Amino acid sequence: MRRKTVFSMAWANLRQRRLRTTLTTLGVIIGITAILAVTSLGEGFRAMVTEQIEYFELDVVMIMPVGRQTYFTREDAENISQTINEVATATPVMQKMMPTGLYRGEKNATTFLLGVNFTEFKIVYPERLVFGEGSLPQPIENDTIVLGYSVAHSETGEVFAGVGDEVTVAMYVGGSLPIRNYNFTVVGVLKEGGAGTLISIDNMVLIPLSTAEEIYQTDYDMMLVKLVDQKYSESVADEIKDLLQKPLTALAPSVMLQRTGNILDMVELFLVGIAGIALLVAGVGIMNIMTVSVMERTREIGILKAIGAKNRNILSMFLAEAALIGLTGGLLGIPSGYGLAHFLSYALSTFRSQSSNGFMQGGEVALNITPILSLSWVAGAFVFGLVVSLLFALYPARKAAKLNPVEALRYE
Amino acid sequence: MTVILEAKDIKKTYKMGDVLVPALKGVTFKVEKGEILTVFGSSGSGKSTLLHILGALDRTDEGKVFVGGIDLSTLNDSELADLRLRKVGFVFQFFNLLPRLTALRNVELPLTLADVSDKECREKASEVLKLVGLEGRMNHRPTELSGGEQQRVAIARSLVNDPSIILADEPTGNLDTKTGFEIVQLMKRLNEEKGQTFVVVTHDPAMAETADRIIYLKDGLIEGIKKGSGRL
Ligand SMILES: Nc1ncnc2c1ncn2[C@@H]1O[C@H](COP(=O)(O)OP(=O)(O)O)[C@@H](O)[C@H]1O
Ligand SMILES: [Mg+2]
Repeated sequence: MRRKTVFSMAWANLRQRRLRTTLTTLGVIIGITAILAVTSLGEGFRAMVTEQIEYFELDVVMIMPVGRQTYFTREDAENISQTINEVATATPVMQKMMPTGLYRGEKNATTFLLGVNFTEFKIVYPERLVFGEGSLPQPIENDTIVLGYSVAHSETGEVFAGVGDEVTVAMYVGGSLPIRNYNFTVVGVLKEGGAGTLISIDNMVLIPLSTAEEIYQTDYDMMLVKLVDQKYSESVADEIKDLLQKPLTALAPSVMLQRTGNILDMVELFLVGIAGIALLVAGVGIMNIMTVSVMERTREIGILKAIGAKNRNILSMFLAEAALIGLTGGLLGIPSGYGLAHFLSYALSTFRSQSSNGFMQGGEVALNITPILSLSWVAGAFVFGLVVSLLFALYPARKAAKLNPVEALRYE
Repeated sequence: MTVILEAKDIKKTYKMGDVLVPALKGVTFKVEKGEILTVFGSSGSGKSTLLHILGALDRTDEGKVFVGGIDLSTLNDSELADLRLRKVGFVFQFFNLLPRLTALRNVELPLTLADVSDKECREKASEVLKLVGLEGRMNHRPTELSGGEQQRVAIARSLVNDPSIILADEPTGNLDTKTGFEIVQLMKRLNEEKGQTFVVVTHDPAMAETADRIIYLKDGLIEGIKKGSGRL
């Protein structure tokens, strides 16, 4: 029997039992929809996270203390750059994760203070330390201050301060000590550096490291280590731990990227597994409905056999029906899965989380995932749907094929 | 005369749980090309069993069946199906048409199974339907046809692959006398015009008499073979 004939007969049979066919196919559609919704959201989430992490300088490792009593010294930084070959530059910075008040006359703003060695900082973050207005004076004065873009320009477009302006930093140093004021002269305003960075420079003001040291009266509490290549992130982090023998933690964006990728792989696989169960249930549905169908069509199978149909003709007729259900379910499941992903993405975007930590990431964080329909998941889900349909249909189809023709003809 | 079909001492016993039901106890006869042979016997005498075995729909327990000289016991299931497709045509008491297909599609089925092209299928099926007098009913479904018309479709279907023999199991058993008579007439005409060989099972003595030869079957054994009148 020719394939075309088999499929047109299968199609006619399915159309005959329209409601039943629709419901059976619906099972497959739901399975494929679930898989594709999960995976296209997963892929979209992966892309979003990757994009954000990749926006960090992948070749810079941040060294931070663990616990309150650990600080780094200039010697630590020099030790790192000289001993470890894979390190290009290491620079200490002073940063307190505390909002600081900034005043100019009547105006005030909230910011984060970052003490840096401007020359080294420029080597580590060449694309962050870019001036929109002004420039660094030579030599750098103790009261030099550089404003991040968002500090200088408020959201309403109002200018807080510009080059040459005097600003006052109100500093709460700690304990029961009173708030002290320090005066600075603005030498420059940075270009917008993006808010997604590990150090959100837009919300910060930069002062010379030595000044910060004087204000806080402590050693440095962070080091930025620029690598020869990002691939050394993990090994350099380990080497620094060995070298300094201090409780510290290394934050390496490239390692984060890799680990996040691994976690996302696992989460996605887990969710696909659950969604896959929906498809298996659909398979059981096919098996169930086919078994009923074989019973109902026993006499018909007997007739077909009497006029010369072979076992494999009967087998392929039933498998063709399952294949059509699987194909249709797959085809309809693709747009429906993609649609569901968009709906879920919309639903997720309406849940907003509030984050006031200006150091890591500022302001309001919304989960805006754009679902990505990857060809390999589409193909995978489609093939899986077809295979499940055929596999579950195999048992009833074989039962039909093996029916004894004489008994089938006697069946009422 | 050419022998088209030969049954040699065929035996068949059914098992109903622990009870053995012997349906055929050793049946031997030949069917010659171009004849109409009726198998006459009361209900339960083994006629249907015999017909199924002759038509390769079932196997014997003992004894052999030859169709066109081929020993059916040497064929596997797939080869038996192929033999049913190309050499044998079946006609049943309850017509056994596929209810969802039109008359034309029902008649096309054996051709479709034999991989005949769509165009040729249509041509041959309509030609055969015309031959049985149903040219005006080709696109009707079985439920839209009378019993006699349905049986004509069944005969057309059995005829469409040019079988060497048509086996009919009480073809008039479900029809009124007049319509049954017309079906017998149709078979006689096909026999005369095309030389079509028939084996017809019946428990109706009048019907049996119209054949060239009559086999009397009783309790799975041949009681006698007699010449029929050959006339209606
Ligand atoms: N599948 C079967 N299982 C058990 N007994 C059967 C079966 N088919 C037929 N028989 C028995 O075999 C005998 C012959 O049946 P059958 O060939 O149908 O006779 P007929 O067609 O002459 O009425 C009967 O006694 C019947 O009950
Ligand atoms: Mg019978």
